[in-house]
Amino acid sequence: MARYLIKRTLQILLTLFIFLSIVFFLVNAQPGDISHVYSLNPDLPPETRAKLQDLFGVNEPLWKQYLVYVKNTLTGNFGVSFSLYPRTVADVIGERLPRTLVLFLTATVLSFYLGFALGKIVAWRRGGWVEYGSTIGSVTLYTVFTPWFALMMIWLFAFRAGWLPIGKFLDPVEWREAPTSANAVFNQMIITMIVLSVAIFAVFLFTTRKRVAGARLIQAGSIVLTAAVVAGVWIASGVAHLAWDIVEHMILPVGTLTLISFGGAMLLTRNSMLETMREDYVTAARAKGLPEKQVRDRHVARNALLPVVTSFVFSLAFAVDGGIIIESVFSWPGMGQTLISAATTEDLPLAVGAFVFVGIFVLVAHLAADVLYVYLDPRIRY
Amino acid sequence: MSERPVLAVEDLTMHYSIKAGAVRAVDGVTFSIERGQALGLVGESGSGKSSIAMTLLRLLPDNAQILRGKILLDGVDIVPLSEERMREYRWNRISMIFQAAMNSLNPVYKVGEQIIEALEAHLESAREESIERVRRLYDVVNLDPGLIVRYPHEYSGGMRQRAIIAMALACEPDLIIADEPTTALDVIVQDHILREMRSIQAELDMSMIYISHDMAVIAEVSDVVGVMYAGKIVELGGTADVFHSPIHPYTRSLMSAFPSVTGKKRELGTLTGEPPNLLDPPEGCRFHPRCPYATDVCSNQEPPKVRRGNHWAACWNPQGE
Repeated sequence: MARYLIKRTLQILLTLFIFLSIVFFLVNAQPGDISHVYSLNPDLPPETRAKLQDLFGVNEPLWKQYLVYVKNTLTGNFGVSFSLYPRTVADVIGERLPRTLVLFLTATVLSFYLGFALGKIVAWRRGGWVEYGSTIGSVTLYTVFTPWFALMMIWLFAFRAGWLPIGKFLDPVEWREAPTSANAVFNQMIITMIVLSVAIFAVFLFTTRKRVAGARLIQAGSIVLTAAVVAGVWIASGVAHLAWDIVEHMILPVGTLTLISFGGAMLLTRNSMLETMREDYVTAARAKGLPEKQVRDRHVARNALLPVVTSFVFSLAFAVDGGIIIESVFSWPGMGQTLISAATTEDLPLAVGAFVFVGIFVLVAHLAADVLYVYLDPRIRY
Repeated sequence: MSERPVLAVEDLTMHYSIKAGAVRAVDGVTFSIERGQALGLVGESGSGKSSIAMTLLRLLPDNAQILRGKILLDGVDIVPLSEERMREYRWNRISMIFQAAMNSLNPVYKVGEQIIEALEAHLESAREESIERVRRLYDVVNLDPGLIVRYPHEYSGGMRQRAIIAMALACEPDLIIADEPTTALDVIVQDHILREMRSIQAELDMSMIYISHDMAVIAEVSDVVGVMYAGKIVELGGTADVFHSPIHPYTRSLMSAFPSVTGKKRELGTLTGEPPNLLDPPEGCRFHPRCPYATDVCSNQEPPKVRRGNHWAACWNPQGE
């Protein structure tokens, strides 16, 4: 396993290097160079233009530029953003990436969890209105035109009902007198979320593995307890209302995204279940006189999970480039918005930096999937 | 033997409904098995052997219906039982050795765990006791108890088949149905396993149903043989009787299709034609279109049972004597 991890890490580094090179040459294949953003300004005297070109290094041969670019990237220097000058690219991405990750990870996890749970039941009870209703529903959600659907959600829940804010990351009025920055609060929220999910996951793992009596009760109790502790800590910190403001802004985009991607997860689970149900070991499990629920969950769903996990990892890639459409419609200041504004303002260092982060995340997600697979399928050994 | 048979099947009829109509997979099948007895069911593929096995465990797909007949397990008819009651009978009273040992173990769980799972579904025993029991079962089937914590893919084909047999023995059922238990194995392993099964059966005084298309396997392991053709048992009797003096022309042609190692060299018999379409089986005797001895009566009337001692066949033109 250790050898495999080392091998895979080297592979990832190689892939990343190839990816970096492709991004670099693609950008340079475009007409003009990044200095044009300044140098096309007619007020600029020719000497200044030449100086700028020297400064950016665009007069150097391409291979030299490439070496400089690789060297800078390897040392973690992604350059300076043009449009948000003087902020560095790393700083901008450091702010935007968590926002996108939280939004899309929450939605992806939620939609796969719901999709799997419902797909399991639908496959088990074939025929009847439950199957037809949920199949039609999820195909509709899966194929719906995203901007229209997102606008409808805003119109319905934010405009008509007025329950939720219309868009953006936070409400400036709430934050005017705030003692801390939004980033600080948001980072604390992320840490809270990680601690919370790790704690609950550990309790679930422990109670099911060790076959503890009353596992359900302990699980429910631990969720309530950790939630109470977390709520207590937040209220004591005095910025709970600010955190709540961010949460409120998240509900609608997360809900919309979950609905859109949930259908695909459900249909995939359903098909995977139906395929697994034909396996001989399922008949054997029934023949053993196991209760239906045990046959469904332990034998069918457990094996049907494998392709769903694969699909989950692929959709994680979207968690970084972050559905440009959704972020635009909800004015969510994440990676998707960053990418599109970098492109429209010709902020090439920022665009390239964003691409690089997307690449790193996707490669790491695939590695995580490979490791996860070892635990899910004992036939896989590296 | 005057005691009640372990299993008595009476006039069992099971159809699959498909778009084109009803597939008459099992049609009026009657047989019984005494304690400690082994019944062999032999026939071509598609003759309804496996359908009988699935019907006995009531593990049929949704489109199958048991139309008539009784399945008396120790005197209790299990056909009308609710799914919940039926669950108590499965494995506890009738267990099964599946055709494809390769695929009847779930790849993601340890083999021992899958046997314990069956134990836990039926017996109120502590986990340590269950593990101990699995160890003893592994001993019985000549498997190293160290393999209990291994996954199915770490077993060889023969080991897997032994594990499946251990699993079938787990709840000490009255009856074990072995559906082609050794078909996927090479001849040497097959022979070993058949011998072992035979001796375990004698030791535990269990009843067995062996299902196979292989006459040699059936001859080796069963006390009583039933020959199936197109959803019906066409001949039933003691193994020696059926193999030495077959009555039904179908049994004869099956026998002549197998070479004999010790007998004199001869041309192997081949049966012309194909097994009938069970959507629309032939009138009268279902074998008549392929039967070399067929007469007019065969094509329009159900054949009568011809008895010779404990051995019978359903035929208008019985052979031998």
